[in-house]
Amino acid sequence: MRYRYQSGERVYEISLERQANGYRATVDGWPYSLEVLDSQPGQLSIRFEGRPLTLYWANDGERKWVSMDGCTFLLSKPSSNRHPRPGERNPGDQVRAPMPALVRSIDIAEGDRVTKGQTLLLLEAMKMEIRLQAPRDGQVLSLTAQKGQQVERDQVLIEIGD
Amino acid sequence: MASFRKILIANRGEIAVRILRACRELGIATVAVYSEADRRALHVRLADEAISIGPPPAAQSYLNIASIIQAARESGAQAIHPGYGFLSENPDFAQAVHDAGLVFIGPSPQAIQSMGNKAEARARMQAAGVQVVPGYQGSDDEFSLQSAAAEIGFPVLVKAAAGGGGKGMRVVRQPDELLEAVGAARREALHAFGDGHLILERYVPKAHHIEFQVLADQHGNTLHLFERECSLQRRHQKIIEETPSSLLDEDLRVEMGAAAVAAAKAVGYENAGTVEFILDPEQRAFYFLEMNTRLQVEHPVTEFVTGLDIVQWQIRIAAGERLPFQQADLRQRGHAIEARLYAEDPANDFLPATGPLLRLVEQKGPGVRVDSGFTSGDEITIHYDALLAKIITYAADRPSAIRKLQSALQETVLLGVTTNWQFLQAVLADPDFLNSSFYTTWIEEHYEGWKPPVCDLPPEVLAAAALTQFQPDEPSFRTTQGQAERDAYSPWKIANGFRTGE
Repeated sequence: MRYRYQSGERVYEISLERQANGYRATVDGWPYSLEVLDSQPGQLSIRFEGRPLTLYWANDGERKWVSMDGCTFLLSKPSSNRHPRPGERNPGDQVRAPMPALVRSIDIAEGDRVTKGQTLLLLEAMKMEIRLQAPRDGQVLSLTAQKGQQVERDQVLIEIGD
Repeated sequence: MASFRKILIANRGEIAVRILRACRELGIATVAVYSEADRRALHVRLADEAISIGPPPAAQSYLNIASIIQAARESGAQAIHPGYGFLSENPDFAQAVHDAGLVFIGPSPQAIQSMGNKAEARARMQAAGVQVVPGYQGSDDEFSLQSAAAEIGFPVLVKAAAGGGGKGMRVVRQPDELLEAVGAARREALHAFGDGHLILERYVPKAHHIEFQVLADQHGNTLHLFERECSLQRRHQKIIEETPSSLLDEDLRVEMGAAAVAAAKAVGYENAGTVEFILDPEQRAFYFLEMNTRLQVEHPVTEFVTGLDIVQWQIRIAAGERLPFQQADLRQRGHAIEARLYAEDPANDFLPATGPLLRLVEQKGPGVRVDSGFTSGDEITIHYDALLAKIITYAADRPSAIRKLQSALQETVLLGVTTNWQFLQAVLADPDFLNSSFYTTWIEEHYEGWKPPVCDLPPEVLAAAALTQFQPDEPSFRTTQGQAERDAYSPWKIANGFRTGE
């Protein structure tokens, strides 16, 4: 069986084959021996190249959290490369809400020229003030937020272009 | 000695669970209150009764005095424990509880009021002979502030009288920077607290934040339970606390303890509270900063070194019990440290993180205590603060307690929400932390722009992730025969017509 996971920018390939005493796991071309000692929902104890390990895991929609030795990793299904369709702008120039929040104040208007790092608007969430800054120099092409508005995580609020 | 039969806990999360536990241990029935967002929360599940008090926003639920008093009446609770945060330091709430014929587990509304306003608290302390940070709390027009600052000496701190959490604060190093700082601080204070009144304080560089736990019964016995070192803060939010403080020798400890008791007595304080001091390590001088008229988040470290259950004592004091020990009977033994696990993303400027808590595995062991308000499956939302759990360790000495904490943190598993675990590990391994040479602004100075190291994905993790795709949804049936168990993973058992090579 073959599997592919993405973490950050990298995509990893894993294949599993049954063996006499467990599995052979091939990760990015390198083979490793693997034996299952115990498995429970969300918890897997294995011997990896003879070394005993317990890992915890949970599915989160299309993503998988895995924890080993106190380190937590987040794996996802490899995303296909997105080429912007005609008329669609480069996603890097969109300023999105990092989490559900309330728009406290807006410091710019459509058409304004802004510089990288300039504060564009202030959000409030979890008793904290969150400053959204311009990711680049440019012009405010669109502003789809209003003072007092409740916005969702990843909601596009401002677009900066040339 | 009569005690309460039933107590309502006016809070949520880990502290509500903590208070519930203390009540259960004392044989007292518990009533939990919850907002709609907390309908399935852990504190609700653990209580004997649970009453809904409003929609998710705190202002309409956990800060809703009328709703909470109503819940107490409905349930027949005789006392209310306010926990920390929310209404715990709201004198109107304490008064409302009294007026409803119930017992407020904490000090009097008057004591809360006195210590709640910084300017009034300072004035009271000065009158009581407790050293306060040299400062000025008179008329705050520009002219008066300028001459007061000159008298205090620079650097000087401009602070909001009604404030906290670092808002409305500015450090001024040169006289010609004062007016601009005053303007900025005033605007910020007006916006955050609705009160632009400012006070001045001497700014102590490399200061330590040392607080003393006080406990006072209704029979005039007031004593302290020693100190907590709380200098490890980031943007005025405490991250790691410990006791004892490496900075205090026995003389200083006795002096500060006596000052803490004097401060509490000056306002007729009853129940548990904490007196905060700023310690100038160079001058070996300490100054009263403020008093928190409630239980603190970091109370567990004190419980470990003194062997006392502070929450139980809060309840017993409120029921009229007399403290059976005196100051001379109390000892600190060993060393305790607490690390706070927050739902926040250090890679993204420590912004609060939300999401489903898919898995939480807490560590247990000798000298390891975890206070958390969540279990696997809970949802971390934007409505409340980001504290997920406190991990506290206790050992005979500081290095051992640190090693225990590093180990406990390493074994704590939290999936589904980004946390500050890497930041905690970085601080716990920092040489300045290990030799106690930190101070209140140390984290901000040394971790400015810090980002967690990106961990390389080990092949073990990838192989295990692939294996989980074989995992059945229902609890797997374990046999003692390894062979049968391994067969359960055989790809030949999957009957969906898959083809090899896909």
